[in-house]
Amino acid sequence: MSTAQVTVSGRRVTWQRRRRALAAAWRQFRHSVPGMIGLVALLLIVAMALAAPLLADESDLRAINAVDNPRWATPSEFPPLGTDNFGRSVWAQFVWGSRISLLVGLAATAIAIVVGAAVGISAGFFGGWFSAVLMRITEWFLVIPFLPLAIVLAAVLGPSVQNIILVIGITSWPVTARVVRAQVLSLKERLYVERSRALGASSRHLMSRHVLPNVSPLILANLTLTVPVAILSETTLSFLGLGDPTRASLGKMLEEAYSAGAVTRNAWWYYLPPGLGVMAIVLAFVLIGQALEEILDPRLKERRS
Amino acid sequence: MSVKLVLLKVLGALATLAFVVVFNFFLFRVVDSDPVANLFRGRNLTQEQRQELRQQFGLDGSKLHQFGAYLEQTAKLNLGRSYISNEPVSEEIWSRAWPTIALVGVSTLLSTIFGVMMGIAAAWKRGSKTDYGSTVFTMATYSMPDFWLGILLLVTLGVSLGLFPVGGMTDPGSDATGLALLLDQAHHMFLPAVTLTVAYLGEYAIVMRSSLLDTMREDYLTLARAKGLRDIAVRNRHAVPNAILPVITLIAINFGFVLSGAIAVETIYSWPGLGRLTYDALNGPDLPLLQGLFLVFSAAVIFFNLVSDLLYAYLDPRVRTA
Amino acid sequence: MRTLRSFALLLCALTALAAVAVARGADGESTTVFTVGFPGDYDTLNPVVGVEVPDYEIWNLQYATLTDKAAADFATTPGLAESWEGSADGKTYTYTLREGLTWSDGTPLTADDIAYTVNRAKAEEWLNYTSTVQNLTAKAIDDRTVEIASSVPDPKLPTMDVYVVPKHIWEKQDAKAVTKYPATDGVGSGPFTLVEAKRGQFIRLKANDGYWGGRPAVDEVVFRLFTNADAMVAALEKGEIDAAHDVPVESFERLSSTDGIVALSGEQGGFNEISVNGGRPESERVEGIGNGHPALSDIEFRKAIAHAIDKQTLIERVNAGLGRPGTTISPSPNQEWIPEIPEAEQFTFDLEKAKQILDAAGYKDTNGNGVREMPNGGDDITLDYVVRSESQSAAGDAEFVTGWLKEIGVGTKQRTVNDATLTEIIGKGTYDLFEWGWTPFVDPDPELSYFTCGQLSKDPEDPTNYYNDANWCDPSYDADYKAQNQELDHDKRVEIVHRMLRTMYDAAVYHVTWYEGDLQAYRTDRFEGWLRQPADIGPVLFSNTSPTYAKLTPTASSGGGGGGISGGAIAGIVVVGLLVLAGVAYFVMRRRTADERE
Repeated sequence: MSTAQVTVSGRRVTWQRRRRALAAAWRQFRHSVPGMIGLVALLLIVAMALAAPLLADESDLRAINAVDNPRWATPSEFPPLGTDNFGRSVWAQFVWGSRISLLVGLAATAIAIVVGAAVGISAGFFGGWFSAVLMRITEWFLVIPFLPLAIVLAAVLGPSVQNIILVIGITSWPVTARVVRAQVLSLKERLYVERSRALGASSRHLMSRHVLPNVSPLILANLTLTVPVAILSETTLSFLGLGDPTRASLGKMLEEAYSAGAVTRNAWWYYLPPGLGVMAIVLAFVLIGQALEEILDPRLKERRS
Repeated sequence: MSVKLVLLKVLGALATLAFVVVFNFFLFRVVDSDPVANLFRGRNLTQEQRQELRQQFGLDGSKLHQFGAYLEQTAKLNLGRSYISNEPVSEEIWSRAWPTIALVGVSTLLSTIFGVMMGIAAAWKRGSKTDYGSTVFTMATYSMPDFWLGILLLVTLGVSLGLFPVGGMTDPGSDATGLALLLDQAHHMFLPAVTLTVAYLGEYAIVMRSSLLDTMREDYLTLARAKGLRDIAVRNRHAVPNAILPVITLIAINFGFVLSGAIAVETIYSWPGLGRLTYDALNGPDLPLLQGLFLVFSAAVIFFNLVSDLLYAYLDPRVRTA
Repeated sequence: MRTLRSFALLLCALTALAAVAVARGADGESTTVFTVGFPGDYDTLNPVVGVEVPDYEIWNLQYATLTDKAAADFATTPGLAESWEGSADGKTYTYTLREGLTWSDGTPLTADDIAYTVNRAKAEEWLNYTSTVQNLTAKAIDDRTVEIASSVPDPKLPTMDVYVVPKHIWEKQDAKAVTKYPATDGVGSGPFTLVEAKRGQFIRLKANDGYWGGRPAVDEVVFRLFTNADAMVAALEKGEIDAAHDVPVESFERLSSTDGIVALSGEQGGFNEISVNGGRPESERVEGIGNGHPALSDIEFRKAIAHAIDKQTLIERVNAGLGRPGTTISPSPNQEWIPEIPEAEQFTFDLEKAKQILDAAGYKDTNGNGVREMPNGGDDITLDYVVRSESQSAAGDAEFVTGWLKEIGVGTKQRTVNDATLTEIIGKGTYDLFEWGWTPFVDPDPELSYFTCGQLSKDPEDPTNYYNDANWCDPSYDADYKAQNQELDHDKRVEIVHRMLRTMYDAAVYHVTWYEGDLQAYRTDRFEGWLRQPADIGPVLFSNTSPTYAKLTPTASSGGGGGGISGGAIAGIVVVGLLVLAGVAYFVMRRRTADERE
């Protein structure tokens, strides 16, 4: 009976402490100018992606619906962003493309974070040969050049949105795994973990009460730094023709602009927006990520390329 | 540096490479839906060549048997034949390696020089406009796709102003030799090299900056200052040589990565290197060639990682004794 | 400040390079080089097996033919033979060769070389020769007389346009080796002979002093191979090349309005088609060779697809308005071979009609997911649409066609592959739709032969040695093919050919999107004497016999060719110099501070 009571009040204390820590972190974040710029930019981008159906008709993406539009119209001739070689609205492609790019970036990051966190936590938590094997695999993935690996995977699996998410997810988890494992290892050494273990707590209890809550801020910071990598990867893979041929993404827009000859005829309204869009999304995440990093752990610096 | 340490590092690198080889087999012969057909694709393959491949790679046997044959052929650097050209994959890769090594070498050199200079300036005047400017520059170049930067340079300097050739490595059809040929190639290399330089420069600047800041916090610099040395002397004589260590190891690591990162940039500029070859192989899709390219890119990265590890161990006394 | 300095350095580098690069110096050189840009690569220089466009151009220049063709109208004119005489039954012709013919290596060219080429090509069934020589036997009567006899009446004679190869070189290659022979020997009898070829880079030929038509005025012809067609256009505009073939449609308009450049669409019967895997007849099926989606074996389904392709829109939106909507295949540059098809009997663009056809044939969308299923509760119909990566129009056309197919409830899945892979896929029958094109020869026979049952791929291990890329054939078409091949009455032959083309059109397996011209452009400042073949409408280069090269002359004002140290080269020096400077600057900085310390 007394144990239950201790646990309940203990939990309440923990929650309060966490809420306070969160509030403090937010106060700090609010004072970081770059962080706030990133956050506002990200909110705008997400709002645009969510509101895509209101901003541009999805059917405008299909060439067969654009036969009445002029081809290669400049933004002044066909506001707001002109048309491409088939007469399709560049604006519609930009809006819907950002949506797909964002989706791919977030979904791939989700895979990377889940796999990375699972590998990192179990490697750090359980130790022994199991941990050694996991870390060996992680190191291997860290060493192997990312782009060629993603290329061979995508080439064998075939081009589709799911596959590209899978490929980017599979290739981006090891950084998270390594960071999380290091954190778990150091947590394990901490006294209170020792104490709860002494009190007879199960592994599950340790994991859910102590390990997870303590690594989640780290995972969050890592997440904001994995998304930009994932988005840049999507852009490059799509540009190389490994994206889904039927779904517009910012990378695919660049690929189409390049192969349609936008560069030689200097149709800037076609090749500038997707590039700037990628830059904006990546910058927003990087700014937020760096601000979080400074708040949560100034020493957290991992290779990001 | 102890022999044992070197040996361990080399063994580790070899193990990683072995993993790549196994992974390659798994991906191209097990995951792939029709591996045998894919090995045979290409209309230029003669009946004899098919027979030869069938035998070499043990294609009539079990997967295990195939794996053995595959290991044996890989050890002999026989990576099969390219569908597109019908040349052995190893020869195809070899003939395209030099343009990439040249491009990556030049741009690594340039990005290191300019990156280090920028990093020094930013660290020395921390919080100044210079520091701020270099951070903005780094962030901007980091966040743009490198090939998009390539497109921008291509449009402005290549297409609109016509200052540089828009693609290729030489003026095709010119029979220049010797110095004239070299210079023609340099002219063609300018835009892709500048693209890669700008894309990677920021990373060196950041590493140099933070490393220099760490160094400057250390005591002996305070001491040197106390001795009355001028700022610039302190910096160049003491701080920079000590701070440059991480940059050197980063060069080694990055060289391997830039090698594969040049894929999209080479594509934009039709630079006839391994990157462009990868793009063409993807268009095939030429799976034996892709498989070979992946092996080569990975081997390069593993090798340069090893070099960087050893270099670090050699240069940093703390690691040397460990 | 240091950052400023490094930026300044970078800026200096750029400006210096810019300044130097602009000052490209011209210089005099004695050889006249005619440079042609080509986007793509050659396949092989061996006339026995090659199939790519530049391959033919090299053979046209290097190997003269027994009879030549007029530039204006393809009329048969004297070539290596100065005259000929036919027998009464039209089966035997006796040709008299010009006097003093030699190969470019000095060896005399005799009737024996002609007989050797014809007889060997027939015996070994050389791919590019078969259609002409399959029924022929040649006999050298003396050094200058060769007799060619056909076992059947042959409407193609006396035209003898196969590339004559030098016996003294080719006899060293046996039947097995000859298809792999690289043919870089450079021995020929045409206006130019090969000097050097580098895959992906260039092909260089030099004028042949012993050419029967006289040594050309141009000393060298260089084909520059581009991987990027836009780069080729830029090179033309800068004057790095004199002419360009296969100009991107997007640049064509701009080049047309550029001073000093002539852009033209050269028609020689070329057409572009979307091929449907027609599903070959039961009797022709082979284990290991696919037949496409089962729905495609149903002619009603294929008709529905035909009604879902808006050719006019494809021309306007994808091909920049260049080309005419097509009906049947075009077997010759000569338009008389193409039948008129009344509008009412054509597959006009009509999505509603397409839907009705599908409904009537039992392809219905019963589960309401927007995609029709096979009749009687089958699976969703999703077609495998293969896009050719080398094509300028295939990806764009696919964007439209898949859109229209979606409208009529037919799903598609796209994949992009290159020529070599697509050839393999076609041979194996593992596709549903793809887009490609043909450029026919003058006589309709070869193009017609491609769609006979005999040209269906037979061997899954070696599926690429066949031409029939419709994976369809029809006994009545084959019977007509045989008949036209032996019909000496021209009008009757035209009638048979019309019937054949109509048979194929009605089968709805080969949707000709447009009849197209080859888009070419050339500079007028260095050469004159460009010949269009056929006159007025044809291309100037890469035409049937490519007569332009031998007739070109340098314009009065033109200088020599390139060479020497160019402005670009000097720019290169600057780059290297800057690299050294940057290095030196760094060390000097260190040294200077060391000095200051002392």
